[in-house]
Amino acid sequence: MTFIGDHPQRLPELFEGMTHWPQARLVVGVTGAPGSGKSTVTDHMIAEYRQRFPQRRIGVIAVDPSSPFTGGAVLGDRVRMMRHATDPLVFIRSLASRGHLGGLTLGAKGVLRIMGLIGCDVVFIETVGVGQSEVEVAGVADLVMVVLAPGQGDSVQMLKAGLMEIGDLFVVNKADLPGAQTLHRNLLQSLSLDQGAEHDCQHAKSAGAGTAEDGPLISLRKKGLPDVFMAAANDHVGIDEIVDGLEAKVEGHSDQWRQRREDMLVDEIRESVLEEARRRLDQTLGNNGRAGDRLGQVLRGEMSVAQMAQELLERTAESKRNLK
Amino acid sequence: MASEGKPRILIGKPGLDGHDRGAKYVAHILRDAGFEVIYTGIRRTPEQIVEAAVQEDVAAIGLSLLSGAHNELFKRVLDLLKEKGASDIVVFGGGVIPEKDIPGLKAMGIVEVFTPGTSAKTIVETLERVLGSKAGQ
Repeated sequence: MTFIGDHPQRLPELFEGMTHWPQARLVVGVTGAPGSGKSTVTDHMIAEYRQRFPQRRIGVIAVDPSSPFTGGAVLGDRVRMMRHATDPLVFIRSLASRGHLGGLTLGAKGVLRIMGLIGCDVVFIETVGVGQSEVEVAGVADLVMVVLAPGQGDSVQMLKAGLMEIGDLFVVNKADLPGAQTLHRNLLQSLSLDQGAEHDCQHAKSAGAGTAEDGPLISLRKKGLPDVFMAAANDHVGIDEIVDGLEAKVEGHSDQWRQRREDMLVDEIRESVLEEARRRLDQTLGNNGRAGDRLGQVLRGEMSVAQMAQELLERTAESKRNLK
Repeated sequence: MASEGKPRILIGKPGLDGHDRGAKYVAHILRDAGFEVIYTGIRRTPEQIVEAAVQEDVAAIGLSLLSGAHNELFKRVLDLLKEKGASDIVVFGGGVIPEKDIPGLKAMGIVEVFTPGTSAKTIVETLERVLGSKAGQ
């Protein structure tokens, strides 16, 4: 895990030849603003899952920010989850973002893979405290849970793009604080605006043939309207319902589910191809014997950069054949 | 496993005292020195600390303790590490620890004890030296 955390680019290499690796049944991304209670919600979700399914292994990947100045980091998400530390079926790994923007860290995918390998049934990925545009977790998790807390802005914030678009579930945490009801209301209103848009879109598409209920809604989310929960995670209030909600999503949306995992797979293959290409390209360019005078040709203007690129592409493809 | 960055260090407070100012301060200076610090908070059992250290694959554990139970709790941490096959993890300590106890703790396997008044520089340099030489092995 340390290796893959440190060398994320070598993930495909490490898993080369592994065909039937086990994957986590459910990967839940937990995201939200700093201090909204992501860790606490996660902690209580672990407790709930462990209670419901005592035999199942739970993984947690908790990402906290690295200092952009020194590269150091204090990873404190674990503090909220320490009561699970001695539970052999709960594996928690803290990661530093290491300068990666987007709310995760480059090594997170590999760690996730290993968590599947060690038999985790559910994996929670907790992002760094995010603002508005750190939505990378949506590309890694099956379901994304956005944790909100009162006091983080008015209804206009809800209209803004980014975070609000990726949530499959929303949790209004700290429901015991004043303002939670207002936040809940604003959130519902904002999300129903989304639904209105979906409605319009559906009507336009089907040109009046049937209502939105007849077919799947067309939306960025692809999975219908997100659920909204109220919770006071510190007191374990509302956690029960959240877990029910998560599991219901798993049950009810297996098609979109597969679609999402397929999308992720395509991404992964693309990354893997690019990585391999990059490696071979480095090799080719490193062999300055041949590339050297070609480079000279480009420098002297006898050959365009595009021509050179084309030639290199062909050469890297050939080196693949040679390998076989 | 070799890391391109600096090693990961876990800072924990075993036992019953809740004075975490020192532990947080050390976490802070290590962060500023470029380490990735996993902070586990106050009132942890040695079992929790060791399990966390193993899961996080840290290079070192820093134990902060002001309750006077260092002889017992530090030893327990070292024993558990051995039990888990993780005695490669370096353990250092800090807090209100009487001078006369320090030789005993070091004999036990604690690499260094930082008592109040130790400068940030000393702590960082000591850790860099200890962990650096280990990495070079």
